[in-house]
Amino acid sequence: MMSLRRDLVGNEVAGGSVAPQNRSRGRLHRRPLGGPRWVGWAFVLPGLIGLAVFIVIPQVASLVLGFSESTLLGGIEFTGTQNFVRLLRDPQFLNSVLVTAIFVLVYVPANIAISMAMALWLKTRIAGRNWLRVIFLIPALSPMVANAAVFRLLFQKDGAINQLLTGIGLGPVPWLSDGNWALAVVIGVSLWQSFGYNMIVLGAGIDSISPDVIAASRIDGAGRLRRFFAITLPLVSPALFFTTVLTVIGAWQTFAQAYVITGGGPGNSTMTIMLYLYQTAFTNDQLGYASAIATVLFVIIAIFTLFQLWGQRKWVHYD
Amino acid sequence: MTDHSLRTSGTSWRRRLRPVGFAANTTVAWVFALVFSFPLIWTFFTALKPANEVFGARISFIGSRVLWSNFADAWTEVDFGRLLTNSLVIAAISTVLTLIVATLTAFAFARLKFPGRSAVFLLFVITLTLPSEVAVVPLFLGFDQARLADTWIALILPGLFGAFGAFLLRQFMLQIPAELEEAARIDGASTWRILISVIVPLVRPALSVLAIFAFLGSWNSFLWPLIILNSSDLWTIPIGIAGFTTQTGTQWQLLMAACVMTIAPVVVVVAVAQRQLVAAIGAGAFGGR
Repeated sequence: MMSLRRDLVGNEVAGGSVAPQNRSRGRLHRRPLGGPRWVGWAFVLPGLIGLAVFIVIPQVASLVLGFSESTLLGGIEFTGTQNFVRLLRDPQFLNSVLVTAIFVLVYVPANIAISMAMALWLKTRIAGRNWLRVIFLIPALSPMVANAAVFRLLFQKDGAINQLLTGIGLGPVPWLSDGNWALAVVIGVSLWQSFGYNMIVLGAGIDSISPDVIAASRIDGAGRLRRFFAITLPLVSPALFFTTVLTVIGAWQTFAQAYVITGGGPGNSTMTIMLYLYQTAFTNDQLGYASAIATVLFVIIAIFTLFQLWGQRKWVHYD
Repeated sequence: MTDHSLRTSGTSWRRRLRPVGFAANTTVAWVFALVFSFPLIWTFFTALKPANEVFGARISFIGSRVLWSNFADAWTEVDFGRLLTNSLVIAAISTVLTLIVATLTAFAFARLKFPGRSAVFLLFVITLTLPSEVAVVPLFLGFDQARLADTWIALILPGLFGAFGAFLLRQFMLQIPAELEEAARIDGASTWRILISVIVPLVRPALSVLAIFAFLGSWNSFLWPLIILNSSDLWTIPIGIAGFTTQTGTQWQLLMAACVMTIAPVVVVVAVAQRQLVAAIGAGAFGGR
């Protein structure tokens, strides 16, 4: 946890941990500035209460509700592990886990690879580099729903993509009527939308590498590839780790793209866990069962996050 | 010096080719950017087409007529005016409240010492890794119990307390020298006074970046509004657009006009504030995507 904290919170990754800062600021805090010691609590309380009520408690409540049968009007009735037993035999749910897992396994590595490649490319000499950066960033900061609507149009049977493909003799592709292609479109729009954001995070990581280090390796005769793997990659690894952790968390919760472009179809080929959760809770009014789905999703995300936290010691270099 | 002359003789051809490489690299990059932007360009041109020319056997950007009236039609057909007003008001309220909460929290973490500060700080850090969207069901139930479902209060409240904003401001506040604060203290300023008159003016750049992110966060948000809002007169733009697409017989040219009007403000904001946004994102201030 310690190193993630440093990473997430420290502006510069190194030296962002809490304790040393307190020590170096000793002079400021020797005499409490705000009068009585509880004054700090008064300032932190609005944020803390909000965080507890709207973020922490719902997470805990979701875990509890998973063990209940709940409807909007029928109230809450606890049923033990019944929901989870049912989940194990629910083909729709198992399918949604598979679909989301495929999404994560394709989307995350592709996202990181493209972001990294683009970040490196934009470090080379290009006229109008800053404007390119803006162009790639725009989809990441615009509404996913609008982006998804645009892609839904592009990939219609007689939409622009098929018009282009037919023009060069590659025939129309059944983008949204074939399950595999539909999932590919959902992954595609996600990549198109998101890589610009991670590109900037990784670009900042690359910028923070001292030019002396690069120059030294060049003098030592390291080639481009060697330099990337021996110098750039280790030195960017904190930013890479940070990006990967948060991209994985986001990817497991994919919703809007599938909702707008395919509605989960055709069949259930693009039914992500969040989409299935949404339908279970708010279309079918099975709030307890939906909470059980949320619990499983929470556990999956927790496992992936903890696994990365554990694994980072092997490849993430701080300083 | 000898080293240097050796290098120049070895790479002189490379140096001579440098302008060519620069031009080629630039060209490839901009062609790629153009291909990348194709979906948005296509959206714009589709928004100007007559209804029966959205699809066709061959690709063409301009239809037989250029219908700027599609934008006006989207305004009436999708009730885009109301969606736009709703989205703007909600985003404005969310932004102001987010800034207030984040400023208070960041100030406490950066400049005040109080018992339990490290523990509270750790709690804030841990919430960064919580998958927030997983918890929508109890959130919905809670607001329903409080008879606040289908209100803007329920829509706005859960989005105000993300820890990223507080951390961004804290990072800036930590850099302010203690002397400024001490001077104000000696002049008899209260803690509150110090925050308002000393700290806030100094972190104004960070506040404006946070304001942009809070605004865009609200502007883009989809899942929670979809769940909590039932009445169409309360809907935001993303809900309107999503509802529009799921109807049979979608009027694509109007939908694309709505998308243009939704994405255009984002383009303007990002273009104007690009330097600050890139710096903040690069600092990891708002997580990943």
